[in-house]
Amino acid sequence: MAKLDRVRMAGFLAALPLIGGMTLQRRQAAGPGLAMLSFLGGLAVGIFIGAVTLVAAGVPADDLLDELVVQVFLTSDGLAQTVVLATPLLLAGLSSAVASRIRFWNIGIEGQLWMGAIAAAGVALFHIGPEPLRLPLMMLAACIAGACWIALPLLLKLRLGVSEIVLTLMLSNVAYLIMQHLLFGAWQDPSGSFPISPRFDDAATLPGLGWGDVHAGILIALIAGLALWVLMERTRAGFHANAIGLNPVAARAAGIPVAATVVLFVLLSGALSGLAGGVIVAGTEHRLTQFIGINMTFSGIVIAFLARFNALATIVAALAIAGIYNAGGTLKVFYSVSDGVVVLVEGAVLMCVLIGQFFSAYRIEFARRPATVEDAEGEAA
Amino acid sequence: MGTAGPQTAPLLALSGVSRSFDGVRVLDRAAFDLKRGEIHALLGENGAGKSTLMNIVTGVYAPEGGRYLIDGAPAGIRGPKDALKAGIGMVHQHFRLVDRFTVAENVLLASGQLGLFANAGEAARAAMEAGKAVGLAVDPAAIVGELSVAERQRVEILKVLALGARIVILDEPTAVLTDQEAGALLLAIRKIAAQGRAVVMITHKLREVAGHSDRVTIMRAGRTVISGAPVGTLSAGDLGRLMMGEETSPAEAAEAGVIEAAAPITIAKPGEERLIVSALYAGGGQGSVGVSDVGFTLKAGEILGVAGVGGNGQQALAEAIVGLLPVAGGHLTLDGWELGEFSVARRRDLGLRVVPSDRFASALIGELSVADNLALTRVRTGRYRSRLGSWLVGRRRMKREAEQAIEAFAIAGATPARRARLLSGGNAQKLLLARELEESGSGVKLLVAHSPTRGLDVKACAFVHAAIRKAVAGGAACLLISEDVEEVRALASRILVMSAGRMVGELPAGASASQIGALILGQA
Amino acid sequence: MELFLTGWLTSLPAFAMPLLLAAVGLILSERAGVLNMGAEGYMAMGAMTGAVVTLTAGNPWIGVGAAILAGAALAGLFAIATVVFRADQILAGLATVALGGGITAVIGRPYLHKTFTGLPRLDPGALADLPLVGGLLFRQDLLAYLGLALVLLLWWGLRATRTGLKLRAVGEDPATADVAGVDVQLYQAGAVLACGALCGLAGAYLSIVSSNVWVEGMVNGRGWIALALVIFARWNPARAILGAVIFGGADAALPRLLALGAQVPTYLLSTLPYLLTILVLVLAALGGRRKDAEPRSLGLAYIRQDRR
Repeated sequence: MAKLDRVRMAGFLAALPLIGGMTLQRRQAAGPGLAMLSFLGGLAVGIFIGAVTLVAAGVPADDLLDELVVQVFLTSDGLAQTVVLATPLLLAGLSSAVASRIRFWNIGIEGQLWMGAIAAAGVALFHIGPEPLRLPLMMLAACIAGACWIALPLLLKLRLGVSEIVLTLMLSNVAYLIMQHLLFGAWQDPSGSFPISPRFDDAATLPGLGWGDVHAGILIALIAGLALWVLMERTRAGFHANAIGLNPVAARAAGIPVAATVVLFVLLSGALSGLAGGVIVAGTEHRLTQFIGINMTFSGIVIAFLARFNALATIVAALAIAGIYNAGGTLKVFYSVSDGVVVLVEGAVLMCVLIGQFFSAYRIEFARRPATVEDAEGEAA
Repeated sequence: MGTAGPQTAPLLALSGVSRSFDGVRVLDRAAFDLKRGEIHALLGENGAGKSTLMNIVTGVYAPEGGRYLIDGAPAGIRGPKDALKAGIGMVHQHFRLVDRFTVAENVLLASGQLGLFANAGEAARAAMEAGKAVGLAVDPAAIVGELSVAERQRVEILKVLALGARIVILDEPTAVLTDQEAGALLLAIRKIAAQGRAVVMITHKLREVAGHSDRVTIMRAGRTVISGAPVGTLSAGDLGRLMMGEETSPAEAAEAGVIEAAAPITIAKPGEERLIVSALYAGGGQGSVGVSDVGFTLKAGEILGVAGVGGNGQQALAEAIVGLLPVAGGHLTLDGWELGEFSVARRRDLGLRVVPSDRFASALIGELSVADNLALTRVRTGRYRSRLGSWLVGRRRMKREAEQAIEAFAIAGATPARRARLLSGGNAQKLLLARELEESGSGVKLLVAHSPTRGLDVKACAFVHAAIRKAVAGGAACLLISEDVEEVRALASRILVMSAGRMVGELPAGASASQIGALILGQA
Repeated sequence: MELFLTGWLTSLPAFAMPLLLAAVGLILSERAGVLNMGAEGYMAMGAMTGAVVTLTAGNPWIGVGAAILAGAALAGLFAIATVVFRADQILAGLATVALGGGITAVIGRPYLHKTFTGLPRLDPGALADLPLVGGLLFRQDLLAYLGLALVLLLWWGLRATRTGLKLRAVGEDPATADVAGVDVQLYQAGAVLACGALCGLAGAYLSIVSSNVWVEGMVNGRGWIALALVIFARWNPARAILGAVIFGGADAALPRLLALGAQVPTYLLSTLPYLLTILVLVLAALGGRRKDAEPRSLGLAYIRQDRR
């Protein structure tokens, strides 16, 4: 602990001279190369910090590459597990990307996910609808529940200008408590004392694809990713959303239907989060449990940010983050490292990439001062 | 620096000072000097480098080479703090006041004195006394955000005086004032100089140079074309030529106010009534001025000017017509359609076009490409539908139209894919005009132009004015809202004067600036 | 009934102080124009460090000191990102919360659920036996009184000192403050560090005073509630006291109502603080005065060389 603090303080002190000595200029335009370079640089530093943390937490350095890359991406079983984990992460990342497009901070992905999971579980547990339609109904219910859960913050933001950040977050906590209320009460599996619901019927579980635990949910998530890419990059609504996100005032003055577009994108974000909940209960857990969806909000935001809010890139980012989750699970079992390390690595990567952007957004100048530079006169003469 | 007195070095002297922003050289080996007790005019067009030079004097920007002396010794100024210490005070064009603080708190903040406790009373007293001495008074307990523009400017000057500044720099001090207010200010400036301080007056108004300053430095395209010449040695014509360059045409000179504004060109016989505003109320509250009981009629083929000092409800008027601000009372009709409940989109469909006062805040999106900005208002209409479906956007047509617009409006430095933010002010305004006026003749029924030439250079101004005239000649009506009295006089066929949210009078074309000023001040 | 009220009032500071300290820290940061969403992370750092250091050093006061430093250290990282490197303040805040959660989980793991002796409560004898308010006023730990004094001091300092004036100027209009010779970055960094320190103290209050144990996730959204409190308080530390009493009061009433054997669903009742937060935000917005109080340049990075 003390060691960590010292390292951080030293970093801060090292940066202090920058505050006073340098002058900054906003770059008019960063070339794509520079932007990519600072992005990758930030990413590399973030991953390095994550690796150092893991070693400090007791993982042998020699095993890092094996655990973080080989075991989660390069073996069939490991990759299968990564894909399973990536399924809800992809949906959460898409949810964040859609909301971010119109600058709506959805910090309540978890809440929408839990409400989606509850809705899907409700359809499954109470055998609503004919069996062949059970799964579509579950997914639909999950989407609607997620959209409903984000509707209140959306309404309050549009009508009263209340910040959606705290609202969505608070509603996450409420959703979690509602889920617990059900799991410790009416929906508890009567055959045990655990806070879990009874197992779903086969008609209410997503079919496996014959590769590890990978289930049809990944197909749903991939289709969602492709559809969202078309929506955000190729449609009228996407064009409008882009303008609104960059400058809502100008968008309104240009006659763009701002409110309708915002409502569409935000509800879609809620629905995607809800769908993630539905996919988890129907595809992975086959029941409602209280351990689903943890940290999904932050992971979703990190994925969307790393993907630059592009739906196709989100697929790649979701796989990468899923790899960290997968490795985190192993490390917890074999090295007794807290699974909090996953969030730590995510946080470090996000922070470093954010800082990295600075170098493409600004030019640092150490300007020559006239009082000390006499040679400029020769230049002038 | 031969103009400095023999016994003492000049108070301040710069030579060979340069500065670039992102590779564009905005200041090129500029020279400037200042003597005690003088009023020194710094003359030049927008973008000539005047503000940049003064920002270097005050330490806001770091220069790239050159020499900077104060009292004959290297200035050693590394930031605004050092400039304050050296006795340099600047009154910025955009006031540097914290709106929510009182006058006294603002003075205290600027005083930069050390010490734990904030004794606002004492600081205020010193400032008020300094103000009284030169004829500028203001209530120290007033909240700055609630003061008029002229009063705020007074606070700015008091701040500088309270600091005991030896050098007072005023950036376009009369730009925001009426003729009468400006007269009072110029008197106060003379008194300040008489106290033994040096005053720099940045301006582009020739009459202020001739009547109210001792020496003049003229800048053009980042260079000082003349440095510290006694004002008496130059005629108004000399000043104009030096400021604008030799190749200036009479029309451009007229635009800049160098030559008396030409009589407004009568474009077309006013046609049918286009916009009818009656007993309109909109906006207001929370420190901004709304529109109160405003009524007027605007006919096709007519430019109706709205003159007045900024912040008197012009913004609310423009926004209410455009549809960004709800109508609280009264009526707005365009070609017989009651606009009250119409969305911005429906108003645009009726032929309403807008050039707002701050193009990158409320019209263009800097991060989007030129093509996207041109398409911004039209994607909604399905104009760029793809062959695959009406909800998909086809980029090819967007690009083709952008190429045509760039050509037609001579938008320098633009390609369809380039981000709009990278365009210069004048070219960004051309981009906006290209979007708003493209279908002139048929589509445009009403153009609301709010300060359409603010911050533009002379050539861009001329272009904007020509574009407005052309649109009106094609049958559109134009509501020209501008703080620039000369612009209104040059373009409008009738002039309304707005003050405190109301229309306080109407003048015919050809009204003089002082007639307009008198109405603004309520002295008519 | 009287017993219930007395007990409720006596336990009130344990619930209200963490919220108050964190909210006042956030007010400092936001008054300097930095939108600081990291409170949840700083509080976790404070709570964990306070517990771990108290467990290893044996003295809760050392734990409190370490907690303050730990909160400030994480805030220092946030300050580097946002003030020095001008990162997006919302995203950097979220990353800070994640880092706080991650670091505390990893480092605090060996110390989970280990109880220790926290700060002693004062026992002034007869005074504390006053009806109803005796416990509230006199039977608290020293930190409660110190914390309240600190909040009042900051409230006064923000209003009446030059440092406070400059800090407020930076949050309102950094360009003006800069021209007036105020070092904008220094003030912002200082405010963020002070915010981290206060949030660290708030976290220490949770672990060392209120519960005498470190449990993962014990901050439980209080950092976010504090963020809402700032809006309710209209960026005024004195009003934050009122807000903290309302929220802390609701929080303190919950376990007591349950202990009374009230027939209410536990988990649904626990949603009250969150619903209350939403309600308060809505009421604040309906009051329509938020924009009057919010620092004008909150959340915007300031670059002197931006051309206007």
